[in-house]
Amino acid sequence: MLIELGEVSKIYNQGQANEVRALRGVSLEIAAGAMVCLKGPSGSGKSTLLAIIGCIFPPTSGRAAIAGRQLARLPDRFLTLHRRESIGFIFQRFNVLPELTVRDNIALPLLPLGVSPKERRRRAEELMARLAISHRASFPARQISGGELQRVAIARALVNDPPIILADEPTAHLDTGLSREFMEIMAGLRRAGKTVVIASHDPLVFEHPAVERIIPIKDGTIHVS
Amino acid sequence: MTPSLEKQFNILDYALSSLWRRKLKALTVLLVFAAVIFLIASFHLLSQALSEKSRLLLARTPEITVQQMSAGRQEAINLASMEKLKGIFGVRRVAPRVWGYYFDEVHLANYTVMGLDFARMPEGSLPAPVKGEIAEAVGQGGVVAGASVVKSLGLAERGIFSLFRPDLTLKAFTVKGEFPPESEIITHDLLVMDIEDARDLFFIPADKASDLCVFVANQGEIGTIARKIADALPGTRVLTRPQIQKTYQVVFGWRSGFGSICLLTALAAFTILAWDKASGLSPEERRETAILKVLGWQTADILTLRFWESLIVSGLAFLLGITGAWLHVAYGDGFLFRPVLLGWSVLKPGLGLVPDPKLADLLLIFSFSVLPYLAATVIPAWRSATVPADSALGG
Amino acid sequence: MFLSPWSLALCLGSLVVLVLAVIAARTAVRVLRFWNPASDDSRQIGLESEIWLSSTLMAYGLGFQLLSLILFIQAADSFCEVIAGAMCATGSLLVNPYGMPALLVKLAGVFFYGFWILLHQLDIRSEDYPLVRIKYLYLLFLLPMLGLDIALQTLYIAGIKPDIITSCCAVVFAAAGGNETNLLSGWSQPVTLAVFLTAAFLLSGLAWVQLRRWRGWLGWLYSIGWLLFFVLSLVVITTAVSSYVYAMPYHKCPFCLLKPEYNYYGFALYGVLLPAAFFGGSVALAGLLASRPGMAGVVGAYQRMAVKISFVLLLFFIALSLFPYLRYLLSGGEGW
Repeated sequence: MLIELGEVSKIYNQGQANEVRALRGVSLEIAAGAMVCLKGPSGSGKSTLLAIIGCIFPPTSGRAAIAGRQLARLPDRFLTLHRRESIGFIFQRFNVLPELTVRDNIALPLLPLGVSPKERRRRAEELMARLAISHRASFPARQISGGELQRVAIARALVNDPPIILADEPTAHLDTGLSREFMEIMAGLRRAGKTVVIASHDPLVFEHPAVERIIPIKDGTIHVS
Repeated sequence: MTPSLEKQFNILDYALSSLWRRKLKALTVLLVFAAVIFLIASFHLLSQALSEKSRLLLARTPEITVQQMSAGRQEAINLASMEKLKGIFGVRRVAPRVWGYYFDEVHLANYTVMGLDFARMPEGSLPAPVKGEIAEAVGQGGVVAGASVVKSLGLAERGIFSLFRPDLTLKAFTVKGEFPPESEIITHDLLVMDIEDARDLFFIPADKASDLCVFVANQGEIGTIARKIADALPGTRVLTRPQIQKTYQVVFGWRSGFGSICLLTALAAFTILAWDKASGLSPEERRETAILKVLGWQTADILTLRFWESLIVSGLAFLLGITGAWLHVAYGDGFLFRPVLLGWSVLKPGLGLVPDPKLADLLLIFSFSVLPYLAATVIPAWRSATVPADSALGG
Repeated sequence: MFLSPWSLALCLGSLVVLVLAVIAARTAVRVLRFWNPASDDSRQIGLESEIWLSSTLMAYGLGFQLLSLILFIQAADSFCEVIAGAMCATGSLLVNPYGMPALLVKLAGVFFYGFWILLHQLDIRSEDYPLVRIKYLYLLFLLPMLGLDIALQTLYIAGIKPDIITSCCAVVFAAAGGNETNLLSGWSQPVTLAVFLTAAFLLSGLAWVQLRRWRGWLGWLYSIGWLLFFVLSLVVITTAVSSYVYAMPYHKCPFCLLKPEYNYYGFALYGVLLPAAFFGGSVALAGLLASRPGMAGVVGAYQRMAVKISFVLLLFFIALSLFPYLRYLLSGGEGW
């Protein structure tokens, strides 16, 4: 199993007046090469679960093993190192830096790895060609269309060739056409052997044929129906 | 290149682009900082250039000067004292001087009148005049004047002028030469004449002089000879050239230090500005940091990024400020700060200063400026680097 | 002597370092009281991010301490212009009992700050942060040293009384000018140099052996050897190397080497010696931590790197130290 969570809980502001239990005893297994959707409304704990799978922070309690690494109480430094190699992230609003060019945005994750400018350029161009946005390489991100932004975000997530791709409400601000396009690209990634986990409550996502499994989440727990 | 070195270059590259994206904020800080450094550096370079110049010019003064003291004040010395000095081993020459200040009521200026016994003064003890004869060959009634005196008395057109004796009779002088502009700092208000003329002008008796100049053969022995003179002539004050040089250094240093304290207030104000600017994290900046962290940038990498940003801004400001200061002192004669460092004389000389900053001086200015700035931006930089990564998730 | 730009810069620098140190100390106290790696509460998360603050502050502290050391020497050099009888920094530092101790504490400070940074770098390379408590206890112990540094520096500056000729000033005094303080004049030059070169040769040999086959006790020998060699180098620089740089047999001063008229040769020399001594000396100290959980591999890797770096720097240092003498011989000078 590539992703294994056992009785994972996450409590924010533990012990204080504003304590929040975002996850309660979540157990989950996702095999390599699977495409899964975490389905639930906002506030259900989807983002928290995604953050744990994405090695952004460890769980408060419980077991979490991602791509062969135990996360529990791993210091932030090691989490980040692991995240770099294992996880590609696609954010809700894509979170592309508007003043940077498309090429520079895609290459962002490579900077702290000490990758040379030549190699960064090569990898970015390879991905831009794959996603058909090479013609926008030198444009600042604020000048490109929504669909192109989507592809930039995907390219950026793939630049380190991670085994796991995570997407957090990727279609929340897209129209139907672009949403469909997005899911097609995700399906393609899955066929290429990546493990894809998408957190969404958009039917265009969880009803897509490529999604093998829907994991419903509500009030911090998984509801198995 | 090793990955860790390449990583530093990458982060530096990103820092440059990050500053460019926020150029208004960066430019504000940079310009204000450059202005503060300009002030601090000008002050330091000016005082350094002045003390260097005075050191060069003081090289011409006699090694030892002997003055007669009475009740703690200087009075005229007997020429008979010269006999006692002749016997001291190492003394090359002894020459009497009659000098004093002449206040010109018409032009409201003070002149320094220096009467020298040219037969006894060694060669090269005065700067050579740029126009006219060597000071030593001036003869009775002749003077060599400093540039400011020439201007003040309008001596360029006419070569003859008169000064008042104490009994208000006039004594006429002919201008035989003018001191060169490079020596202005000590000759600007100077009138050099024969010792007998000076005696006549100030009514000093024939057997007295203002002080005695003692020239020695071996520079290393100044101290020893000075002690011997003090023993031979009790009641006199024996001044050595090294002592005078040190006094100038102290005064310049004191004034420079005093000025530096005043500039510290400017620095303090700037540090507060820097803190304020660095602390103000806009939502965009917070989001950017969170995104970088999710994409695999560690907290240490973000801290390095902020460090490079601070260093670039302060480094550029430093270069700008120092260059401005150098130009200000070299071409502007340090006009902003001269009143603090120079005296109260009405006749202010043009200086022709050339500041020569060494590594030590640059280090000093760096410590006064860049160092506090970097310290002020540490905590804001850390705050920005510890934006939690998960804040990039969600809407 | 506070009204001098140098004194002001030193005092300002000290103030800055003090403020940074107090902030770092606050983290240290909090970590020592509340650190609990098993916990996930907001205080622990806060502490984990505060660790980054303290490490940044200490890195800045090291940088500022190095700068303060250089500034102090330059300040002493500039003070000599106003102190009767002092011809360079050596004379200025000896004008009152606080000068030399202040310098030595600053020099020691560079090593102590460096060791903290080493501890931190080793600590963060292990998943368990095994050195957290040691690190922050050590940080708290650095505070008194910093206090001592500032106190000695302030006492030194306050104790400088320049001579100003005023109208009440009496008769001339001034020590017979022109003599450099002859430090350590009892040492015989050829013997010192022979010991120096032998020690360098032995250290190089030790490094070579270590890199081929690592032994714990050799690491200790290496570090102790380096500490002794460091002191010996300072003596050699003062008594032998410096006079060849100045081309004056009686000018033996370790500070004038830093001046522009000698092409800032001292910066190259000390710039190589200090890191070499640091890395060499830290080999054994790092070894003390190898038994901590998760540290064995990390420490081993560091020790190898430290031996390599100190070895290379040693070679540079020997070359730099011998260069003035060789140049003198080649340009026709006589032997000892």
